[in-house]
Amino acid sequence: MEEASRIDEPNRNPNTDRSSNPNPLSSIISSAHVWPTIDGPLGLTEEASVDYARRFYKFGFALLPWLWAVNCFYFWPVLRHSRAFPQIRNYVVRSAIGFSVFTSLLLAWALTFSIGGEQLFGPVWDKLVMYNVADRLGLSGLA
Amino acid sequence: MDRNQQRPRSSILDSLGEELIGILTPVSICMFTVVLLVCLLNSDPSSSSSFSSIATAAYSETDSDSPWDKLLGAFLNSLVFVAAITVATFLLVLLFYLRCVTFLKLYMGFSALVVLANLGGEISILLIDRFRFPIDSLTFSILLFNFSVVGVFAVFMSRFSILITQGYLVVIGVLVAYFFTMLPEWTTWVLLVALALYDLAAVLLPVGPLRLLVEMAISRDEDIPALVYEARPVIRDDSRLVQRRVWREQRSNVNDDDVENNVVRAEEEEEQRSEEISVPLIDSSSSSSRPETFLEGIGLGASGAIKLGLGDFIFYSVLVGRAAMYDLMTVYACYLAIIAGLGVTLMLLSVYQKALPALPVSIMLGVVFYFLARLFLEVFVVQCSSNLVMF
Repeated sequence: MEEASRIDEPNRNPNTDRSSNPNPLSSIISSAHVWPTIDGPLGLTEEASVDYARRFYKFGFALLPWLWAVNCFYFWPVLRHSRAFPQIRNYVVRSAIGFSVFTSLLLAWALTFSIGGEQLFGPVWDKLVMYNVADRLGLSGLA
Repeated sequence: MDRNQQRPRSSILDSLGEELIGILTPVSICMFTVVLLVCLLNSDPSSSSSFSSIATAAYSETDSDSPWDKLLGAFLNSLVFVAAITVATFLLVLLFYLRCVTFLKLYMGFSALVVLANLGGEISILLIDRFRFPIDSLTFSILLFNFSVVGVFAVFMSRFSILITQGYLVVIGVLVAYFFTMLPEWTTWVLLVALALYDLAAVLLPVGPLRLLVEMAISRDEDIPALVYEARPVIRDDSRLVQRRVWREQRSNVNDDDVENNVVRAEEEEEQRSEEISVPLIDSSSSSSRPETFLEGIGLGASGAIKLGLGDFIFYSVLVGRAAMYDLMTVYACYLAIIAGLGVTLMLLSVYQKALPALPVSIMLGVVFYFLARLFLEVFVVQCSSNLVMF
Protein backbone atom coordinates (compact mmCIF):
# COMPACT_ATOMS: atom_id res chain seq x y z
CA MET A 1 0.00 0.00 0.00
CA GLU A 2 2.91 2.33 0.08
CA GLU A 3 3.46 2.65 -3.62
CA ALA A 4 1.37 5.74 -3.70
CA SER A 5 3.33 7.48 -1.02
CA ARG A 6 6.84 6.90 -2.18
CA ILE A 7 8.86 9.92 -3.18
CA ASP A 8 9.88 9.43 -6.73
CA GLU A 9 11.82 12.53 -7.45
CA PRO A 10 14.00 14.72 -5.31
CA ASN A 11 12.43 17.82 -6.75
CA ARG A 12 9.67 18.82 -4.43
CA ASN A 13 7.82 20.74 -7.05
CA PRO A 14 6.78 18.43 -9.84
CA ASN A 15 4.66 21.20 -11.22
CA THR A 16 7.58 22.78 -13.00
CA ASP A 17 8.76 19.53 -14.47
CA ARG A 18 6.03 17.81 -16.21
CA SER A 19 2.92 19.82 -16.07
CA SER A 20 1.70 21.70 -19.05
CA ASN A 21 -0.23 24.18 -17.08
CA PRO A 22 -2.15 26.39 -19.44
CA ASN A 23 -3.66 28.53 -16.77
CA PRO A 24 -1.10 30.03 -14.42
CA LEU A 25 -3.71 32.14 -12.68
CA SER A 26 -5.57 29.12 -11.38
CA SER A 27 -2.42 27.62 -9.97
CA ILE A 28 -1.73 30.81 -8.09
CA ILE A 29 -5.23 30.86 -6.67
CA SER A 30 -5.23 27.20 -5.84
CA SER A 31 -1.85 27.26 -4.20
CA ALA A 32 -3.46 29.28 -1.47
CA HIS A 33 -4.15 26.00 0.36
CA VAL A 34 -7.90 26.28 0.08
CA TRP A 35 -9.58 23.57 -1.86
CA PRO A 36 -13.06 24.18 -3.19
CA THR A 37 -14.47 20.83 -2.20
CA ILE A 38 -14.99 19.26 1.16
CA ASP A 39 -12.65 16.45 0.28
CA GLY A 40 -9.73 18.81 0.17
CA PRO A 41 -6.81 17.62 -1.89
CA LEU A 42 -8.66 14.46 -2.85
CA GLY A 43 -11.45 16.37 -4.44
CA LEU A 44 -11.84 18.46 -7.54
CA THR A 45 -9.72 21.24 -8.83
CA GLU A 46 -11.13 24.64 -9.26
CA GLU A 47 -11.92 24.52 -12.96
CA ALA A 48 -13.68 21.22 -12.67
CA SER A 49 -15.52 22.51 -9.62
CA VAL A 50 -17.17 25.29 -11.56
CA ASP A 51 -18.39 22.80 -14.09
CA TYR A 52 -19.71 20.46 -11.41
CA ALA A 53 -21.38 23.22 -9.42
CA ARG A 54 -23.13 24.50 -12.49
CA ARG A 55 -24.29 21.03 -13.51
CA PHE A 56 -25.61 20.21 -10.06
CA TYR A 57 -27.41 23.51 -9.91
CA LYS A 58 -29.08 22.98 -13.26
CA PHE A 59 -30.04 19.37 -12.58
CA GLY A 60 -31.54 20.32 -9.26
CA PHE A 61 -34.39 22.00 -11.06
CA ALA A 62 -35.76 18.59 -11.98
CA LEU A 63 -37.41 18.37 -8.55
CA LEU A 64 -34.15 17.38 -6.90
CA PRO A 65 -33.63 19.51 -3.78
CA TRP A 66 -31.43 16.80 -2.34
CA LEU A 67 -29.03 17.40 -5.21
CA TRP A 68 -28.90 21.06 -4.24
CA ALA A 69 -28.18 20.05 -0.65
CA VAL A 70 -25.41 17.73 -1.83
CA ASN A 71 -24.04 20.60 -3.88
CA CYS A 72 -23.85 22.81 -0.81
CA PHE A 73 -22.34 20.03 1.26
CA TYR A 74 -19.73 19.18 -1.32
CA PHE A 75 -18.63 22.76 -1.80
CA TRP A 76 -18.83 23.71 1.83
CA PRO A 77 -15.41 25.44 1.87
CA VAL A 78 -16.73 27.77 -0.82
CA LEU A 79 -19.47 28.90 1.50
CA ARG A 80 -17.13 29.28 4.41
CA HIS A 81 -14.45 31.33 2.71
CA SER A 82 -16.56 34.02 1.17
CA ARG A 83 -13.73 35.67 -0.72
CA ALA A 84 -12.43 32.83 -2.78
CA PHE A 85 -14.00 31.09 -5.77
CA PRO A 86 -16.52 33.69 -6.92
CA GLN A 87 -17.88 31.62 -9.77
CA ILE A 88 -18.51 28.52 -7.71
CA ARG A 89 -19.95 30.57 -4.91
CA ASN A 90 -22.59 31.93 -7.25
CA TYR A 91 -23.99 28.50 -8.01
CA VAL A 92 -23.62 27.14 -4.51
CA VAL A 93 -25.46 30.01 -2.92
CA ARG A 94 -28.26 29.71 -5.41
CA SER A 95 -28.43 25.97 -4.72
CA ALA A 96 -28.67 26.67 -1.01
CA ILE A 97 -31.51 29.12 -1.55
CA GLY A 98 -33.31 26.68 -3.81
CA PHE A 99 -32.91 23.88 -1.31
CA SER A 100 -34.29 25.96 1.56
CA VAL A 101 -37.29 27.14 -0.42
CA PHE A 102 -38.16 23.69 -1.72
CA THR A 103 -37.66 22.03 1.65
CA SER A 104 -39.79 24.54 3.47
CA LEU A 105 -42.61 24.06 0.98
CA LEU A 106 -42.35 20.27 1.14
CA LEU A 107 -42.14 20.28 4.91
CA ALA A 108 -45.15 22.55 5.18
CA TRP A 109 -47.18 20.24 3.02
CA ALA A 110 -46.00 17.07 4.78
CA LEU A 111 -46.60 18.44 8.25
CA THR A 112 -50.04 19.71 7.30
CA PHE A 113 -50.85 16.31 5.96
CA SER A 114 -49.63 14.30 8.91
CA ILE A 115 -50.81 16.59 11.68
CA GLY A 116 -54.06 17.62 10.05
CA GLY A 117 -55.07 14.09 9.36
CA GLU A 118 -58.60 13.18 8.70
CA GLN A 119 -60.07 16.18 10.44
CA LEU A 120 -58.60 18.54 7.92
CA PHE A 121 -58.84 16.52 4.77
CA GLY A 122 -61.77 14.25 5.22
CA PRO A 123 -61.90 10.97 3.34
CA VAL A 124 -59.20 12.12 0.91
CA TRP A 125 -56.62 11.54 3.64
CA ASP A 126 -57.14 7.84 3.51
CA LYS A 127 -56.70 7.86 -0.21
CA LEU A 128 -53.45 9.79 -0.09
CA VAL A 129 -51.62 8.26 2.84
CA MET A 130 -48.78 6.03 1.83
CA TYR A 131 -49.57 2.77 3.52
CA ASN A 132 -53.01 2.66 1.97
CA VAL A 133 -51.67 3.55 -1.44
CA ALA A 134 -49.11 0.78 -1.10
CA ASP A 135 -51.78 -1.70 -0.11
CA ARG A 136 -53.92 -0.68 -3.02
CA LEU A 137 -51.15 -0.97 -5.54
CA GLY A 138 -49.76 -4.13 -3.97
CA LEU A 139 -46.38 -2.55 -3.32
CA SER A 140 -45.98 -3.73 0.23
CA GLY A 141 -45.52 -7.34 -0.72
CA LEU A 142 -42.02 -8.69 -0.67
CA ALA A 143 -41.68 -10.39 -4.00
CA MET B 1 5.58 -4.89 7.77
CA ASP B 2 7.85 -2.89 5.56
CA ARG B 3 5.61 0.12 5.49
CA ASN B 4 7.04 1.01 8.83
CA GLN B 5 10.24 2.27 7.26
CA GLN B 6 8.43 5.04 5.43
CA ARG B 7 7.27 6.70 8.62
CA PRO B 8 10.05 7.80 10.89
CA ARG B 9 8.32 8.76 14.10
CA SER B 10 4.65 7.94 14.23
CA SER B 11 3.68 4.52 15.40
CA ILE B 12 2.28 1.88 13.19
CA LEU B 13 -1.03 2.12 14.95
CA ASP B 14 -1.64 5.64 13.73
CA SER B 15 -1.96 5.00 10.06
CA LEU B 16 -2.57 1.28 10.08
CA GLY B 17 -5.34 1.74 12.59
CA GLU B 18 -6.85 4.54 10.56
CA GLU B 19 -6.88 2.47 7.41
CA LEU B 20 -8.39 -0.50 9.18
CA ILE B 21 -11.05 1.66 10.79
CA GLY B 22 -11.75 3.10 7.39
CA ILE B 23 -12.83 -0.28 6.15
CA LEU B 24 -14.23 -1.79 9.34
CA THR B 25 -16.61 1.08 10.02
CA PRO B 26 -18.71 0.77 6.87
CA VAL B 27 -18.80 -3.01 7.18
CA SER B 28 -20.02 -2.69 10.75
CA ILE B 29 -22.57 -0.04 9.84
CA CYS B 30 -23.89 -2.23 7.05
CA MET B 31 -24.20 -5.24 9.32
CA PHE B 32 -25.78 -3.24 12.11
CA THR B 33 -28.37 -1.72 9.77
CA VAL B 34 -29.31 -5.10 8.34
CA VAL B 35 -29.70 -6.56 11.84
CA LEU B 36 -31.83 -3.57 12.78
CA LEU B 37 -34.04 -4.03 9.73
CA VAL B 38 -34.38 -7.74 10.37
CA CYS B 39 -35.35 -7.17 13.98
CA LEU B 40 -37.83 -4.45 13.09
CA LEU B 41 -39.46 -6.09 10.13
CA ASN B 42 -39.25 -9.69 11.20
CA SER B 43 -42.47 -11.39 10.39
CA ASP B 44 -43.23 -15.02 11.08
CA PRO B 45 -40.96 -17.40 9.20
CA SER B 46 -43.69 -18.99 7.17
CA SER B 47 -44.11 -15.91 5.05
CA SER B 48 -40.57 -16.12 3.78
CA SER B 49 -41.38 -19.12 1.69
CA SER B 50 -43.14 -16.91 -0.82
CA PHE B 51 -39.96 -15.13 -1.76
CA SER B 52 -38.82 -16.25 -5.16
CA SER B 53 -35.65 -15.35 -6.89
CA ILE B 54 -33.00 -17.00 -8.93
CA ALA B 55 -31.57 -18.44 -5.75
CA THR B 56 -34.69 -20.46 -5.14
CA ALA B 57 -35.27 -21.46 -8.72
CA ALA B 58 -34.41 -25.08 -8.29
CA TYR B 59 -36.17 -25.76 -5.06
CA SER B 60 -38.32 -23.75 -2.74
CA GLU B 61 -38.24 -24.81 0.82
CA THR B 62 -41.36 -25.62 2.74
CA ASP B 63 -41.61 -26.42 6.38
CA SER B 64 -42.84 -29.93 5.91
CA ASP B 65 -39.81 -31.33 4.14
CA SER B 66 -37.39 -33.63 5.85
CA PRO B 67 -33.92 -32.26 6.65
CA TRP B 68 -32.34 -34.37 3.95
CA ASP B 69 -34.73 -32.95 1.35
CA LYS B 70 -34.01 -29.45 2.52
CA LEU B 71 -30.28 -30.02 2.33
CA LEU B 72 -30.52 -31.45 -1.15
CA GLY B 73 -32.73 -28.61 -2.26
CA ALA B 74 -30.33 -26.08 -0.78
CA PHE B 75 -27.45 -27.64 -2.70
CA LEU B 76 -29.38 -27.44 -5.92
CA ASN B 77 -30.28 -23.82 -5.31
CA SER B 78 -26.69 -22.88 -4.55
CA LEU B 79 -25.47 -24.70 -7.62
CA VAL B 80 -27.85 -22.78 -9.82
CA PHE B 81 -26.93 -19.49 -8.21
CA VAL B 82 -23.18 -20.01 -8.42
CA ALA B 83 -23.52 -21.14 -12.03
CA ALA B 84 -25.47 -17.98 -12.82
CA ILE B 85 -22.83 -15.86 -11.15
CA THR B 86 -20.02 -17.60 -13.03
CA VAL B 87 -21.73 -17.01 -16.35
CA ALA B 88 -22.32 -13.39 -15.51
CA THR B 89 -18.74 -12.90 -14.39
CA PHE B 90 -17.40 -14.35 -17.59
CA LEU B 91 -19.75 -12.07 -19.48
CA LEU B 92 -18.30 -9.14 -17.57
CA VAL B 93 -14.78 -10.27 -18.43
CA LEU B 94 -15.75 -10.51 -22.08
CA LEU B 95 -17.29 -7.06 -22.12
CA PHE B 96 -14.29 -5.60 -20.37
CA TYR B 97 -12.01 -7.32 -22.85
CA LEU B 98 -13.96 -5.79 -25.72
CA ARG B 99 -13.61 -2.41 -24.04
CA CYS B 100 -17.33 -1.78 -23.67
CA VAL B 101 -16.61 0.36 -20.65
CA THR B 102 -19.40 2.85 -21.32
CA PHE B 103 -21.93 0.09 -21.46
CA LEU B 104 -20.68 -1.32 -18.18
CA LYS B 105 -20.83 2.05 -16.49
CA LEU B 106 -24.34 2.64 -17.77
CA TYR B 107 -25.33 -0.78 -16.56
CA MET B 108 -23.83 -0.04 -13.17
CA GLY B 109 -25.80 3.17 -12.90
CA PHE B 110 -28.95 1.44 -14.00
CA SER B 111 -28.54 -1.34 -11.47
CA ALA B 112 -27.92 1.21 -8.73
CA LEU B 113 -31.13 2.97 -9.76
CA VAL B 114 -33.11 -0.25 -9.66
CA VAL B 115 -31.76 -1.20 -6.26
CA LEU B 116 -32.28 2.20 -4.72
CA ALA B 117 -35.68 2.92 -6.19
CA ASN B 118 -37.22 -0.52 -6.23
CA LEU B 119 -35.73 -2.25 -3.21
CA GLY B 120 -35.33 0.96 -1.27
CA GLY B 121 -38.91 1.88 -1.97
CA GLU B 122 -40.18 -1.50 -0.90
CA ILE B 123 -38.25 -1.49 2.33
CA SER B 124 -39.38 2.05 3.11
CA ILE B 125 -42.96 1.01 2.51
CA LEU B 126 -42.49 -1.95 4.82
CA LEU B 127 -41.11 0.37 7.49
CA ILE B 128 -43.93 2.89 7.01
CA ASP B 129 -46.43 0.10 7.22
CA ARG B 130 -44.89 -1.29 10.35
CA PHE B 131 -44.82 2.04 12.18
CA ARG B 132 -47.97 3.49 10.56
CA PHE B 133 -46.10 6.64 9.72
CA PRO B 134 -48.56 9.19 8.28
CA ILE B 135 -46.64 10.24 5.22
CA ASP B 136 -48.49 10.94 2.03
CA SER B 137 -47.71 9.45 -1.32
CA LEU B 138 -46.63 12.68 -2.97
CA THR B 139 -43.95 13.46 -0.39
CA PHE B 140 -42.86 9.86 -0.37
CA SER B 141 -42.44 9.69 -4.12
CA ILE B 142 -40.50 12.97 -4.20
CA LEU B 143 -38.18 11.77 -1.45
CA LEU B 144 -37.65 8.40 -3.09
CA PHE B 145 -37.01 10.02 -6.46
CA ASN B 146 -34.45 12.38 -4.96
CA PHE B 147 -32.75 9.63 -3.05
CA SER B 148 -32.41 7.31 -6.03
CA VAL B 149 -31.33 9.89 -8.58
CA VAL B 150 -28.63 11.36 -6.36
CA GLY B 151 -27.54 7.79 -5.61
CA VAL B 152 -27.13 7.11 -9.30
CA PHE B 153 -25.08 10.26 -9.61
CA ALA B 154 -22.91 9.20 -6.71
CA VAL B 155 -22.27 5.78 -8.18
CA PHE B 156 -22.03 6.77 -11.80
CA MET B 157 -19.93 9.88 -11.69
CA SER B 158 -16.30 9.26 -11.09
CA ARG B 159 -15.59 12.37 -9.09
CA PHE B 160 -18.05 12.96 -6.37
CA SER B 161 -18.05 13.58 -2.68
CA ILE B 162 -16.27 10.65 -1.07
CA LEU B 163 -18.52 10.57 1.95
CA ILE B 164 -21.73 10.55 -0.03
CA THR B 165 -20.51 7.90 -2.44
CA GLN B 166 -19.47 5.70 0.46
CA GLY B 167 -22.81 6.27 2.15
CA TYR B 168 -24.75 5.31 -0.92
CA LEU B 169 -22.67 2.19 -1.49
CA VAL B 170 -23.35 1.11 2.09
CA VAL B 171 -27.06 1.77 1.57
CA ILE B 172 -27.08 -0.33 -1.61
CA GLY B 173 -25.32 -3.09 0.31
CA VAL B 174 -27.88 -2.92 3.10
CA LEU B 175 -30.83 -3.07 0.72
CA VAL B 176 -29.58 -6.03 -1.26
CA ALA B 177 -28.46 -7.86 1.88
CA TYR B 178 -31.86 -7.43 3.47
CA PHE B 179 -33.50 -8.99 0.48
CA PHE B 180 -31.12 -11.89 0.52
CA THR B 181 -31.95 -12.61 4.14
CA MET B 182 -35.43 -13.46 3.00
CA LEU B 183 -34.24 -16.63 1.32
CA PRO B 184 -35.11 -19.89 3.04
CA GLU B 185 -32.78 -20.81 5.85
CA TRP B 186 -31.01 -23.89 4.58
CA THR B 187 -30.55 -22.30 1.18
CA THR B 188 -28.94 -19.25 2.77
CA TRP B 189 -26.31 -21.19 4.66
CA VAL B 190 -25.38 -23.52 1.84
CA LEU B 191 -25.33 -20.57 -0.54
CA LEU B 192 -22.93 -18.63 1.67
CA VAL B 193 -20.52 -21.53 1.86
CA ALA B 194 -20.79 -22.12 -1.89
CA LEU B 195 -20.09 -18.47 -2.62
CA ALA B 196 -17.07 -18.49 -0.32
CA LEU B 197 -15.66 -21.44 -2.25
CA TYR B 198 -16.50 -19.80 -5.56
CA ASP B 199 -14.76 -16.60 -4.50
CA LEU B 200 -11.66 -18.55 -3.55
CA ALA B 201 -11.64 -20.29 -6.90
CA ALA B 202 -12.43 -17.24 -9.00
CA VAL B 203 -9.71 -15.09 -7.51
CA LEU B 204 -6.86 -17.47 -6.98
CA LEU B 205 -7.12 -19.93 -9.83
CA PRO B 206 -5.35 -18.81 -13.00
CA VAL B 207 -8.49 -19.47 -15.03
CA GLY B 208 -10.72 -17.71 -12.58
CA PRO B 209 -12.75 -14.86 -14.06
CA LEU B 210 -11.84 -12.39 -11.39
CA ARG B 211 -8.17 -12.95 -11.81
CA LEU B 212 -8.51 -12.40 -15.55
CA LEU B 213 -10.43 -9.21 -14.87
CA VAL B 214 -7.84 -7.89 -12.47
CA GLU B 215 -4.97 -8.70 -14.79
CA MET B 216 -6.68 -6.98 -17.68
CA ALA B 217 -7.38 -3.94 -15.55
CA ILE B 218 -3.78 -3.77 -14.45
CA SER B 219 -2.37 -4.20 -17.92
CA ARG B 220 -4.56 -1.43 -19.26
CA ASP B 221 -4.27 0.76 -16.20
CA GLU B 222 -7.99 1.20 -15.95
CA ASP B 223 -10.46 0.88 -13.19
CA ILE B 224 -12.98 -1.87 -13.36
CA PRO B 225 -16.39 -0.26 -13.74
CA ALA B 226 -18.24 -1.90 -10.90
CA LEU B 227 -19.55 -1.21 -7.46
CA VAL B 228 -16.56 -1.19 -5.18
CA TYR B 229 -16.22 0.51 -1.86
CA GLU B 230 -13.01 2.45 -1.57
CA ALA B 231 -11.94 3.69 1.80
CA ARG B 232 -10.75 7.23 2.02
CA PRO B 233 -7.01 7.33 1.39
CA VAL B 234 -5.09 8.04 4.52
CA ILE B 235 -2.98 11.15 4.43
CA ARG B 236 0.16 10.53 6.34
CA ASP B 237 0.98 13.15 8.87
CA ASP B 238 4.58 13.71 8.03
CA SER B 239 5.33 17.05 6.49
CA ARG B 240 4.56 16.05 2.97
CA LEU B 241 1.03 15.95 1.78
CA VAL B 242 0.65 13.05 -0.52
CA GLN B 243 -1.31 13.87 -3.61
CA ARG B 244 -2.93 10.69 -4.67
CA ARG B 245 -4.43 10.10 -8.00
CA VAL B 246 -7.76 8.85 -6.93
CA TRP B 247 -9.36 8.75 -10.33
CA ARG B 248 -7.40 7.85 -13.36
CA GLU B 249 -9.44 9.34 -16.14
CA GLN B 250 -8.47 12.91 -15.63
CA ARG B 251 -4.81 12.42 -15.21
CA SER B 252 -3.80 14.81 -17.94
CA ASN B 253 -5.51 17.99 -16.88
CA VAL B 254 -6.34 17.55 -13.26
CA ASN B 255 -3.25 16.32 -11.57
CA ASP B 256 -0.94 18.78 -13.16
CA ASP B 257 -2.67 21.78 -11.68
CA ASP B 258 -3.02 22.74 -8.07
CA VAL B 259 0.05 20.99 -6.94
CA GLU B 260 1.37 22.80 -4.00
CA ASN B 261 5.02 23.20 -3.35
CA ASN B 262 5.19 20.55 -0.76
CA VAL B 263 3.11 17.98 -2.55
CA VAL B 264 4.72 14.84 -3.76
CA ARG B 265 3.03 12.85 -6.41
CA ALA B 266 3.55 9.16 -6.89
CA GLU B 267 4.73 7.79 -10.15
CA GLU B 268 2.11 6.44 -12.45
CA GLU B 269 3.98 3.24 -13.02
CA GLU B 270 4.12 2.50 -9.35
CA GLU B 271 0.42 2.91 -9.01
CA GLN B 272 -0.13 0.38 -11.72
CA ARG B 273 1.06 -2.23 -9.34
CA SER B 274 -1.83 -1.66 -7.05
CA GLU B 275 -4.52 -4.10 -7.82
CA GLU B 276 -8.14 -4.60 -7.20
CA ILE B 277 -10.11 -7.69 -7.01
CA SER B 278 -13.59 -8.05 -8.21
CA VAL B 279 -16.11 -10.82 -8.31
CA PRO B 280 -19.31 -9.73 -9.89
CA LEU B 281 -22.23 -11.04 -8.03
CA ILE B 282 -25.52 -11.42 -9.75
CA ASP B 283 -28.61 -10.67 -7.84
CA SER B 284 -31.91 -11.19 -9.56
CA SER B 285 -34.59 -10.05 -7.27
CA SER B 286 -38.00 -11.69 -7.52
CA SER B 287 -39.76 -11.42 -10.80
CA SER B 288 -37.26 -9.40 -12.72
CA SER B 289 -34.37 -11.12 -14.38
CA ARG B 290 -32.14 -8.09 -14.41
CA PRO B 291 -28.81 -8.93 -12.88
CA GLU B 292 -26.86 -6.28 -11.08
CA THR B 293 -23.16 -6.11 -10.91
CA PHE B 294 -21.52 -6.11 -7.55
CA LEU B 295 -18.01 -6.97 -6.66
CA GLU B 296 -16.56 -9.11 -3.99
CA GLY B 297 -13.03 -9.30 -2.90
CA ILE B 298 -10.49 -7.01 -1.45
CA GLY B 299 -7.57 -5.23 -2.95
CA LEU B 300 -5.62 -2.03 -3.11
CA GLY B 301 -6.97 0.84 -5.07
CA ALA B 302 -5.11 3.20 -7.29
CA SER B 303 -4.55 5.57 -4.43
CA GLY B 304 -3.29 2.94 -2.05
CA ALA B 305 -6.57 2.92 -0.21
CA ILE B 306 -8.19 -0.36 0.61
CA LYS B 307 -10.93 -1.42 -1.75
CA LEU B 308 -13.57 -3.87 -0.72
CA GLY B 309 -16.13 -5.15 -3.17
CA LEU B 310 -19.76 -4.51 -2.47
CA GLY B 311 -20.55 -8.21 -2.68
CA ASP B 312 -18.50 -8.71 0.47
CA PHE B 313 -20.57 -6.15 2.34
CA ILE B 314 -23.70 -7.89 1.14
CA PHE B 315 -22.76 -11.40 2.14
CA TYR B 316 -21.34 -10.48 5.49
CA SER B 317 -24.58 -8.71 6.23
CA VAL B 318 -26.64 -11.63 4.96
CA LEU B 319 -24.83 -13.91 7.36
CA VAL B 320 -25.35 -11.60 10.30
CA GLY B 321 -28.95 -10.92 9.31
CA ARG B 322 -29.73 -14.59 9.14
CA ALA B 323 -28.05 -15.02 12.54
CA ALA B 324 -30.29 -12.23 13.83
CA MET B 325 -33.32 -14.22 12.82
CA TYR B 326 -32.41 -16.77 15.41
CA ASP B 327 -31.18 -14.78 18.36
CA LEU B 328 -28.95 -11.84 19.18
CA MET B 329 -26.34 -14.05 20.78
CA THR B 330 -25.54 -15.61 17.43
CA VAL B 331 -25.33 -12.09 16.01
CA TYR B 332 -22.55 -11.16 18.40
CA ALA B 333 -20.69 -14.38 17.71
CA CYS B 334 -20.97 -14.00 13.94
CA TYR B 335 -20.05 -10.32 14.02
CA LEU B 336 -16.86 -11.02 15.91
CA ALA B 337 -16.03 -13.91 13.61
CA ILE B 338 -16.53 -11.81 10.50
CA ILE B 339 -14.46 -8.92 11.81
CA ALA B 340 -11.71 -11.34 12.78
CA GLY B 341 -11.85 -12.87 9.31
CA LEU B 342 -11.67 -9.44 7.71
CA GLY B 343 -8.66 -8.60 9.85
CA VAL B 344 -6.94 -11.79 8.78
CA THR B 345 -7.71 -11.02 5.16
CA LEU B 346 -6.28 -7.52 5.48
CA MET B 347 -3.13 -8.89 7.02
CA LEU B 348 -2.79 -11.36 4.19
CA LEU B 349 -3.35 -8.49 1.79
CA SER B 350 -0.48 -6.53 3.23
CA VAL B 351 1.73 -9.59 3.13
CA TYR B 352 0.94 -10.77 -0.37
CA GLN B 353 0.25 -7.36 -1.95
CA LYS B 354 -2.12 -8.74 -4.51
CA ALA B 355 -5.83 -9.08 -4.90
CA LEU B 356 -7.37 -11.48 -2.48
CA PRO B 357 -10.84 -12.92 -1.97
CA ALA B 358 -12.42 -11.39 1.09
CA LEU B 359 -15.27 -13.85 1.47
CA PRO B 360 -13.76 -17.24 2.33
CA VAL B 361 -12.12 -16.63 5.69
CA SER B 362 -14.90 -14.49 7.13
CA ILE B 363 -17.75 -16.63 5.86
CA MET B 364 -16.18 -19.86 7.06
CA LEU B 365 -15.50 -18.41 10.48
CA GLY B 366 -18.95 -16.87 10.58
CA VAL B 367 -20.73 -20.08 9.67
CA VAL B 368 -18.69 -22.14 12.12
CA PHE B 369 -19.33 -19.68 14.93
CA TYR B 370 -23.03 -19.50 14.12
CA PHE B 371 -23.51 -23.22 14.45
CA LEU B 372 -21.30 -23.45 17.52
CA ALA B 373 -23.19 -20.63 19.18
CA ARG B 374 -26.56 -21.99 18.24
CA LEU B 375 -25.93 -25.58 19.18
CA PHE B 376 -23.62 -25.32 22.16
CA LEU B 377 -23.26 -21.80 23.48
CA GLU B 378 -26.95 -21.14 23.83
CA VAL B 379 -27.61 -24.19 25.95
CA PHE B 380 -24.71 -23.29 28.18
CA VAL B 381 -25.69 -19.68 28.64
CA VAL B 382 -29.35 -20.48 29.25
CA GLN B 383 -28.44 -23.05 31.87
CA CYS B 384 -26.07 -20.63 33.55
CA SER B 385 -28.63 -17.84 33.56
CA SER B 386 -31.48 -19.94 34.81
CA ASN B 387 -29.32 -21.23 37.64
CA LEU B 388 -28.16 -17.68 38.38
CA VAL B 389 -24.53 -18.49 37.84
CA MET B 390 -23.86 -16.03 35.02
CA PHE B 391 -26.01 -13.58 33.14
